[in-house]
Amino acid sequence: MAGPLLSSTEKIFILHGVQNDYRSDGRSNIDYRPMELETDVVSHASGSARLRLANTDILVGVKTEIDVPKPDNPGKGKIEFFVDCSANATPEFEGRGGEQLANSISNMMQRAYHTSQAFNLKQLCIFEGKQCWKLYVDILILECGGNLCDAVSLAVKAALFNTRLPFVKAALMDGGNVDLQLSDDPYDSKQLDIGCAPLLVTLCKIGDKCVVDPSAEEESCSVISLVVGVTGNPKFYCTEDTTNILNVECKCSTIGMNGPGSVAPKTLKDAINQGIIAAKCLDEALGKALLRERQETIVMKKHSYGFLK
Amino acid sequence: MPGPDLLSSQGLRLDGRRPNELRRIRCKLGVFTQPDGSAYLEQGNTKVLAAVYGPHQASKSKTSTDGVVVNCQYSMATFSTGERKNRPRGDRKSQEMSLHLRQSLTAAIKTELYPRSQIDVYVEVLQADGGAYCASVNAATLALVDAGIPLKAYACACTASIAWRGSEPEPLVDVGHVEEAAGGVCLTVSSLPSTRSVALLELSHKLHMDYFDVVLSRAMQGCRDIEVILDRAVREHLAEGWTKQDVVTI
Amino acid sequence: MTGHVSIKLASERVNHCVAANNELPRFYTPGEVISGMQDFMRGHGTYTEDDCLKSSVAGVMQKVNKLICIRPLKSRYVGEIGDVVVGRVLEVQQRRWKIETNSRLDSVLQLSSVNLPGGELRRRSAEDEQMMRKHLQEGDLISAEVQSVFSDGSLSLHTRSLKYGKLVQGTLVKVFPSLIKRRKNHFHNLPCGISVIIGNNGYIWISPQQQDILLEDNKDEIQNYELQPVSRTDRETMARVKNCIAALVASKMMLDDTSIMFAFEESLKYDNVKDLLDPEAMLDIAFLAQHRINTVMED
Repeated sequence: MAGPLLSSTEKIFILHGVQNDYRSDGRSNIDYRPMELETDVVSHASGSARLRLANTDILVGVKTEIDVPKPDNPGKGKIEFFVDCSANATPEFEGRGGEQLANSISNMMQRAYHTSQAFNLKQLCIFEGKQCWKLYVDILILECGGNLCDAVSLAVKAALFNTRLPFVKAALMDGGNVDLQLSDDPYDSKQLDIGCAPLLVTLCKIGDKCVVDPSAEEESCSVISLVVGVTGNPKFYCTEDTTNILNVECKCSTIGMNGPGSVAPKTLKDAINQGIIAAKCLDEALGKALLRERQETIVMKKHSYGFLK
Repeated sequence: MPGPDLLSSQGLRLDGRRPNELRRIRCKLGVFTQPDGSAYLEQGNTKVLAAVYGPHQASKSKTSTDGVVVNCQYSMATFSTGERKNRPRGDRKSQEMSLHLRQSLTAAIKTELYPRSQIDVYVEVLQADGGAYCASVNAATLALVDAGIPLKAYACACTASIAWRGSEPEPLVDVGHVEEAAGGVCLTVSSLPSTRSVALLELSHKLHMDYFDVVLSRAMQGCRDIEVILDRAVREHLAEGWTKQDVVTI
Repeated sequence: MTGHVSIKLASERVNHCVAANNELPRFYTPGEVISGMQDFMRGHGTYTEDDCLKSSVAGVMQKVNKLICIRPLKSRYVGEIGDVVVGRVLEVQQRRWKIETNSRLDSVLQLSSVNLPGGELRRRSAEDEQMMRKHLQEGDLISAEVQSVFSDGSLSLHTRSLKYGKLVQGTLVKVFPSLIKRRKNHFHNLPCGISVIIGNNGYIWISPQQQDILLEDNKDEIQNYELQPVSRTDRETMARVKNCIAALVASKMMLDDTSIMFAFEESLKYDNVKDLLDPEAMLDIAFLAQHRINTVMED
């Protein structure tokens, strides 16, 4: 995506701001813009979430399907990411205009969720070697205000948190077929364990410093950006006493670079560390918000706000 | 003419509505900041977002000196239907929808005012539960109003079908997904209710010409009812965004 | 060293509406009859059909003698001669620049409508044509005045005054053109020490105040000045003004130097400029600014 056109002096102004650790809206280099989250917004999906980060608007729906596991991974389910850049976000995305960007984000997500330390695919197993769940994580980008990767990963984690899989009884029949019995009660379902699910943090290199949560203008000043996928900490996502839950160290599950520029190894290492710290903050804030929302729905019936309020 | 049973013995429809009752419509203008106009509309469980960009300088290949070029894209989120869709757009169905959308909206827009310009209308169906096209037209109209684009009148779309109570025909307004799937007639009408003209009409399944008039008039009535709802939403939006300094009386 | 992250829930969303007065004007919506034709004249936002004057947009009526217009809540910028605009160069063409001004069509800045170094009454030579990109190139921002409106509605601009021309360091904020009040002056040096250009087209330019005494022909010095870093205090003030404008816009309040200064003064109780990004703080500032405007108007 080309991003907004800027004059060279505007770029200089942004660049000096980053060097000063004081950006044009008053944030420092490590501050995020305020976000808003709502889960359970699409009734045709098993789980969904909408996240708005300043002008960036992401809607995620998780659909489930029963599938046959891969022969080399009989005990594991499947998860697939699909990103769609809606033309509502910018006319540039019309037709197939957003495909390249969409592919790069979905590949990034796929890589970040690939390791078992990030997302345990075993929980999607129904009957080893025969049947498993396949999760389709469909991401719709409705408005672009910079920093798509981070927003997408947060919305995906929230949607997975919201996802419920119906309980399935599986029995082996003669001839090697599996008989599946789905529970009739829609509330008879299980939640996914997504505590470790990774978040992506984009570090945009402007001048010789890196910033998190770049705005669209800042993105067009940067020659290269680094995307770090960091696994989450389950303790942020459970209500019970957290003492008996292992405090898992955050790990990097993927690193990617976008843009034509290059980075010195020293800057790279600093940036990765900065990304890990930012991811931890994001993870904690997301966990708090999700638990708060769940608490609210227990007290009163959930009122869906969506786009109406 | 034995069709599927769309009416109960009490005269209620499969989802409990009366034959002339619309699904609940809720809508809001100005949901996004970047487009020139945007709107969100729910019609029952069908949910649609529309965004309008322009009028802006037309791209060189499209430019016309007679009037504004209306460019539409209809797209459905992959999670919008019961069965997951593989592609959000580009298939034949959505291309047809884009053309139909353009036809309905061009009838409403005062195109002659803006030569060499272009208006982009993008519709994203978030949830499809019958009548997605109608909801798209209605949402796009609101987005055009939000963008301040001159219209002759509101463009509203509504579907109608027919059911049988005994041997008497009973037209149904605003067909839902269940009724669509049951396989009855479905007449889609997009009209400018205040001028009482029809911009687009599409019929699927067979309908005896004797009953065409009753079904059409029910659909037109539906459009008029929708216009009232849209008009109310526009006025509410104006009242919310209006500040006193706005009015300059000279 | 941890950054600031805040995630709110949709149920905690704030309503930015600060509608000041309860008395609402008469609203017109598309297709609505305004009056019988009698002897009214048809203005913007209206059309005639069946001997009736009807509205084509949703908004409020403005009447000037017999001319009736309906002004929508928001639309693209409709230029008028003498308006001050801020625009961005899209393309360098033969003897003219294409400028993006948030209008329906791209605007034009003719080579003959700019001041070139070396005095006003100079012939534009072929050399000047080749040097056009030196003067203004793609992406550059300018402030200009609308010189004339072509029959298709596109605008011709000029920068033939010292106050117009290329804009250097600063930030651009885009708002709906209908939020800008038409005033005599759109260039303001705010008392807080920075300057804003409130373009009629809804583009607002925030920059540090010019340390004038720049001579036209002292090219090197200008170049130098353009690249000089902006001081931290100026930067903070600029960020505050930017966030205050965003707060006013979220509540759909009209923008001029008064409302921006009111919002700025009210925002000072928030020490950190970044706190103004929070929706609750934005509403608070807009509300207080609106309150002060109401008091001023009552007096």
